[in-house]
Amino acid sequence: MDLELILLNFPYVVAIILFSMGTLIVLTQANLVKKVIGINIMETSIFLFFIAVGNMHGGVPPIYDPAYPEALYVNPLPSVMMLTGIVVSFSVTAFALALIVKLYIYYGTISAPNFMKLK
Amino acid sequence: MDIIGMDALKVLPFYCVIIPLIASFCMPVLARWKKEFCAPLTTAVTAAVFIITIIIGNHVIKGRAISYAVAGWRAPWGIEILVDPLSAVMIMLISGISLCIMVFSFTAIKYELERIVTGWFYTAFLLCFSGMIGLVISNDIFNMYVLIEIAGISACALVAAKGTRLSTEAALKYLLLATVGSGFILFGIGFIYMITGHLNITFIAMELALIKDQYPILIWTTLSFFVVGFGVKAALFPLHLWLPDAHSSAPSPSSAILSSLVVKVYIIAFVKILFIAFGLEIFHETYIRQLIIVLAVLAMLAGSFFAFVQIELKRRLAYSTVAQVGYVFLGIGLGTPWGLAAGMLHIVVHAFMKTCLFLCAGAIAYQTGRKKVNEFAGMGYLMPVTMGAFTVAAFSMVGIPLFGGFISKYGLALGSLEAEMPLLILVIVLSGLLNATYYFPIIGQAYFSQDESTGDNHGGDKKKFKRDDIPLSMLVPIVIVALGVIYLGIFPGTILKFINLTVSVLL
Repeated sequence: MDLELILLNFPYVVAIILFSMGTLIVLTQANLVKKVIGINIMETSIFLFFIAVGNMHGGVPPIYDPAYPEALYVNPLPSVMMLTGIVVSFSVTAFALALIVKLYIYYGTISAPNFMKLK
Repeated sequence: MDIIGMDALKVLPFYCVIIPLIASFCMPVLARWKKEFCAPLTTAVTAAVFIITIIIGNHVIKGRAISYAVAGWRAPWGIEILVDPLSAVMIMLISGISLCIMVFSFTAIKYELERIVTGWFYTAFLLCFSGMIGLVISNDIFNMYVLIEIAGISACALVAAKGTRLSTEAALKYLLLATVGSGFILFGIGFIYMITGHLNITFIAMELALIKDQYPILIWTTLSFFVVGFGVKAALFPLHLWLPDAHSSAPSPSSAILSSLVVKVYIIAFVKILFIAFGLEIFHETYIRQLIIVLAVLAMLAGSFFAFVQIELKRRLAYSTVAQVGYVFLGIGLGTPWGLAAGMLHIVVHAFMKTCLFLCAGAIAYQTGRKKVNEFAGMGYLMPVTMGAFTVAAFSMVGIPLFGGFISKYGLALGSLEAEMPLLILVIVLSGLLNATYYFPIIGQAYFSQDESTGDNHGGDKKKFKRDDIPLSMLVPIVIVALGVIYLGIFPGTILKFINLTVSVLL
């Protein structure tokens, strides 16, 4: 692989590694709270990816300054979209934790295999 | 122009989304004050949206799509709402079926849910409703993602509303897997935004047509992310794991909404992204088509087989949904005019059939408390109207002529001939036969076998028709959706006209 290309695009590489890790945690961990953490890792990696998409090398914050009309601005749209993404991630986490508390009251454990076989 | 002017008409789709959204925020407050007002208000809101969608449909059938820029921001920057004929028929379907289910929920909710969660049930329903309608008519992929999450999370809440151990567990499973799915969708949206710089589907299509040869690997990646994401959301076969638990443990109005509408709106979103944003060339050049067909065939056979081995009625119906989603995806995978049109028609037909079946299951559990498929002896005489509707929907599910399911399966068969894959007809027939093996024993038992277990309760001649002992608010919706199934089987023309208007543009 071209090492320089990877170094230049390291936010993307990190995002993809984090995304894979998060998905793996959700699917393989037995502990329900760990599953929720996995989801958060996954969504955070997506936020990183979007913000890396919006970034420009040598860009400045997108606030119009009359002194430098030709300035190179960072694309603000992906960051704004990720605000919505954070809200979604927050509400999913809150809802999942509420359900886990309820399951803990029913079963006395938060380990998924322990009650999956009780059915 | 008929009743209202063009300017007013353009805003109407926006109201379809915003009215239920506002009503859903009022609902918790109302529930604290007067619990009994929640159901009528929700029904009124749904009915109002249904009337609006019919006005929209009346306009769109003339071949003019409605486009509206939300808050006045024009297309590449702002959020665009685009109602093409396919979206129009889908919003009519969503609001019409929801109206029936809401009328049904008048009594069913009192019986199935604790009193304290009634208000929250209607809150979640209205949120889900506005999310579904918005998802179908939105033309902006990031807006689609937000609406996917609104519909998805509130759908989980609809499952969790019952509050039992099983439904809480199912809701958590649904929530976790659905979030993984929407994570994949969001990542796909990120890829699209990276290579095109647009979020509006129309503009993505124009941009992708120019640059698709530069980024072949990225387009492959994006497509596979979308297939996985929407596959989890729409319960395409190997990714369906959350569906049987969620649909069988939810209260019966929720099961009907989830099974007939929620899984379908994701398919519409997928069709829009696949055929409009990516376009036909990418669809034919990549192997996406073969992948979808293989998964659909697996779903049709495996879903029916799993349904066959279930004993609980609602679980059997849930697995049957997995198989029916396979039919819809088969239509998408074929990608021929008849195939795609039949796939879309199957969404409509299946919404009617599955609503009917789940509402019948709810009504049967309400009157007799029976939930297993081997307890149906004598049911045809105990509850003739409900069981009659059940029979109509089951016949349609199997694909017997004169019922809606026949038309869509016939269309799929024609589509597979058009796509020169005649072997698929065999799969369609086989899956139909499998459907018969798990629906006919229920019907046969209901009409032709003696009721031994509860013989004492009603005594006398067992082969005598009695009146259904369920409230009118349960009976009327069941009869209406059953009549809808028959109507679609005899006069599918109107719906097909809507669908073909869109399909002829897509293909």
